[in-house]
Amino acid sequence: MKNRLKVLRAERDWSQGDLAQRLEVSRQSVNAIETGKFDPSLPLAFKLARLFERPIEEIFTDEEERSSESGNQQVSESAS
Amino acid sequence: MTDRIKNLARYRMEDRMLFIGMPLLVANIALAIWGSGYRHLHPAGVLAYLPAILFALLGVAFIVIFGLYLSEEQDEFQRAIWVQALLWGIGATLTVITFWGSLVEFELVKDLKLMFVFPLFMLITCIARLVLKLRYR
Repeated sequence: MKNRLKVLRAERDWSQGDLAQRLEVSRQSVNAIETGKFDPSLPLAFKLARLFERPIEEIFTDEEERSSESGNQQVSESAS
Repeated sequence: MTDRIKNLARYRMEDRMLFIGMPLLVANIALAIWGSGYRHLHPAGVLAYLPAILFALLGVAFIVIFGLYLSEEQDEFQRAIWVQALLWGIGATLTVITFWGSLVEFELVKDLKLMFVFPLFMLITCIARLVLKLRYR
């Protein structure tokens, strides 16, 4: 799962440590989520959404959904 | 530094390790050294059961300490890392003792003392934890 944590964090000029402190998790956790090595649970995703004041889907992108959407688009384009 | 200040579950685990796990470990090591030196005395009855209970207590203490930590840890990523390390510990220990056991069957190596299985599990788990910590630095 891809995410825009790094961008959102940079917009606020927060370090990974700052974000970790706000989320009450370790800096390692923020780094792992940011680099896509670890997918957060739903409660943590909601916490992030509240913190950045954005809907979850604006922060996290489901790769499978994205690829199926682009696949459907291609099918409809070729059909028309 | 903030991680250490914030993470109460980890602090509690370290305290439990220091005040329960470590004294038990030291007692076990002392007992193992004493046991190897005085094996010829052949302790019988209750005296023979006491060291066995002490060895088993170490295992139980460490499992309880880890269990409490996992239930208290609020940081899900740290929890996941510990679970991964414990799985590595279980998997590698079972593999090593199975492999060793097969070699013993064919009289290629000496018999493995079963009381060293738990320390081996702890050692592998700690190494796995270090490797995982480096991976997610």
